[in-house]
Amino acid sequence: MAATTGTTEKTETTARTLGWAWVVLVVITVASWRLAPAHFTDTVVASTGVTALVLVLTYIKARVILRYFMEVRSSPRWLRIGTEVWLIVLLGAVFGIYLA
Amino acid sequence: MGKVTVQQPDTETVAVPDGRLPGDVHMWVMVLGDLIVFSSYFLIYLIYRSMDPESFLRAQQHLDINIGSINTVVLLTSSLFVARSVLSARAGAHRQAIGFVYAAGGCGVLFMVLKGYEWAAKISAGHTNSDMFFSFYYVITGVHLVHVLIGLIVLGVVVRELQNPGRRRTWMVETGATYWHMVDLLWVIIFGLLYVMR
Repeated sequence: MAATTGTTEKTETTARTLGWAWVVLVVITVASWRLAPAHFTDTVVASTGVTALVLVLTYIKARVILRYFMEVRSSPRWLRIGTEVWLIVLLGAVFGIYLA
Repeated sequence: MGKVTVQQPDTETVAVPDGRLPGDVHMWVMVLGDLIVFSSYFLIYLIYRSMDPESFLRAQQHLDINIGSINTVVLLTSSLFVARSVLSARAGAHRQAIGFVYAAGGCGVLFMVLKGYEWAAKISAGHTNSDMFFSFYYVITGVHLVHVLIGLIVLGVVVRELQNPGRRRTWMVETGATYWHMVDLLWVIIFGLLYVMR
């Protein structure tokens, strides 16, 4: 099955996009490593600010995986909206319970 | 409700036009169901955590954040390999696609080995199910680990598909990829909620 030139170009572009998505995910992971309670030997106190930041970073990571790796960004509307709603409701509920 | 394009069970489909579902719709239904099941685990964990945040935070400090972070990068890398294998399969580069799937599977095995080591180290240090945080930790990461194992079997099916010149259906590769990415997606959330939040 020979790929056309246009297709090859598109594939290369997408491969590059995937590479960048991976870089973003790894950078956020390394940043999270520094924030984690286990990173400190002293007693760590609860922090609403850190938790909120962690949830925002988790939202970005999950969204990058969904949209770029799972190709949700070019999928039907119901899937794009459904996954977005799921992620926001989940992380919103997590933060709500955390604050309660 | 957007229009759902009917799957083409051949290798002609190369580009992904807007509004096309990658892989089989049944896999997506299963993935969305699994995401909801895991979400309920996460919320139950948060409810218990909110009842005793101090002791949960103390216990979280005993996790191995280095292994947790390395495992996150390992799984993210495996997802990149799987995504690349889908691109290769679409372009008709089946040998390359198989190589990417093997690389992803290798990462999956490495994840399981590191997770096993992490568990063994925690159990020998006395962090067992008797601690509320650690009982959540073992159950959530344990159920996730089963998903990694199933994912490895799925990747095996994808390799078989790609090896057979008479098959090589792109949508099968996409379907397997969708499952594997879900395993990665769930881990990213587990990492945030168990390892990093305070």
